[in-house]
Amino acid sequence: MRVAWRNDAQDTGLGEARGGARTPATATATAYPDWEAIYTDNVGRIYRLLFAKVGNRPDAEDLTSQVFLAALGPLRTTASVGEVRSYLLATTRTVLAAHWRRTLGHQVTVIDPAGIDLADFADPRGLHSELGRSDGGEYGQQDSEDAGHAAGQGSRSQAEHILAELPDQQRKILILRFLQGCSVKEAAAELGVTVANAKVLQHRALRRAAGLGLAPDKIKKGEAP
Amino acid sequence: MKRPVDRYIDSLLRRRRPRPFAPSEDDLALTRTAIALAAAGPDAAGPAPEFVEELRRKIGAQHAAAEAASANTALAAIPEPSRAVPARRRFLQATAVTAGAAAVGATADHLITRRPTGSAPAAESELTPVVGTWQTVATDADLPEGGVLSFNLSSVFGFVQRTSGRVQAVSGICTHQGCRLDLKTPSDELVCPCHGATFSLSGQPLSYPNSKYTVPPLPRLAVRVKEGSIQVYAPPPNPTADPTANSASWSGGTAST
Repeated sequence: MRVAWRNDAQDTGLGEARGGARTPATATATAYPDWEAIYTDNVGRIYRLLFAKVGNRPDAEDLTSQVFLAALGPLRTTASVGEVRSYLLATTRTVLAAHWRRTLGHQVTVIDPAGIDLADFADPRGLHSELGRSDGGEYGQQDSEDAGHAAGQGSRSQAEHILAELPDQQRKILILRFLQGCSVKEAAAELGVTVANAKVLQHRALRRAAGLGLAPDKIKKGEAP
Repeated sequence: MKRPVDRYIDSLLRRRRPRPFAPSEDDLALTRTAIALAAAGPDAAGPAPEFVEELRRKIGAQHAAAEAASANTALAAIPEPSRAVPARRRFLQATAVTAGAAAVGATADHLITRRPTGSAPAAESELTPVVGTWQTVATDADLPEGGVLSFNLSSVFGFVQRTSGRVQAVSGICTHQGCRLDLKTPSDELVCPCHGATFSLSGQPLSYPNSKYTVPPLPRLAVRVKEGSIQVYAPPPNPTADPTANSASWSGGTAST
């Protein structure tokens, strides 16, 4: 419980001191051995959840830091995996809300803890973290790569839903630019138009997507895993 | 000229941090759409490994600080992940911890295993042995108003002082790495000979040469004046005279929750 470093704990045999006698309350009965396990198992999930909500790496990483620095203090590692994840989720929701208050002054995207399960945000690449020691995947049954894909597909299907409403060229430019990370130049070359045309095309496409489709958050709530 | 919302979307596309602006309703709709699309972009797969490691380090430091603040003895003092500490330093820490733990008559094992799981006693809470006796450290007359005395029971080393008529006792083991503190007389400070940390006589940390660390306060010890003697509540003296074999255990004053 109070032993901070896994190696020390093992070396000195203090490991037995951890855990305590508390019985985990929820169905996901496994408990994490220490904060590092909590971190390793969830840092990717929190990042992916936040990335889906802010759409850029620097913000997603900043907010992920905030979540863990705020959450790991009060967390008891005797809590079950389920309890830890709901706590992280609640913290993430608060951190995201504060982020939008601070930056755009509106809740651009929100996290609905009832509709989200962190188990669905496993690493889609299947690189199961350094925790890949033998106890790697024990934290919940749904932690398979399939679940990871489900989360990835959540964002993807949301994007597809938006794109489906668009004319061909407009859909293509948004795919090239947003999903595939092409520059305007590359996208223009791909579509066989001038750079200026590509810019206008993208501009209109996005406006149309924003004006036509359901608000992304509504889509998310309806369809996300 | 580009509107702020366009710059915001540009930043998303360039995979950079977008700048705050005051959005209109339309801007918000655009931003939401752009985020929804970017969410399926190349960076969605996961955080950068460097970021993950850096944050792990930060949490570790935070955790170590919390540990230090919550533990009652020199045991608290490991300030950073030991894997980052050179072997020699780790050895020094280990010996310091052992020495500190021995000095208060409780082995590290006892401290860790006996403390109730759910509570982290504040560092300045009273350090009270579960099994202890009142042991005389000085006579009442030895300690005038404003006076300070060090005492050394077999299990506890510390200082007693009398201010405003009240007698107080604090542990005399530095909460950084477990060295014995010296009393600096004119200023009435407790000074650590190892790294120069200083504490007030009430146990509050005053300074540390390396400002990166904050040193937890010294634990207070239960003390009373009875029949002309100043007594500290401490584990009973060990007949074997080997302090590390002392079977007494401790709990922090707030650990009963």
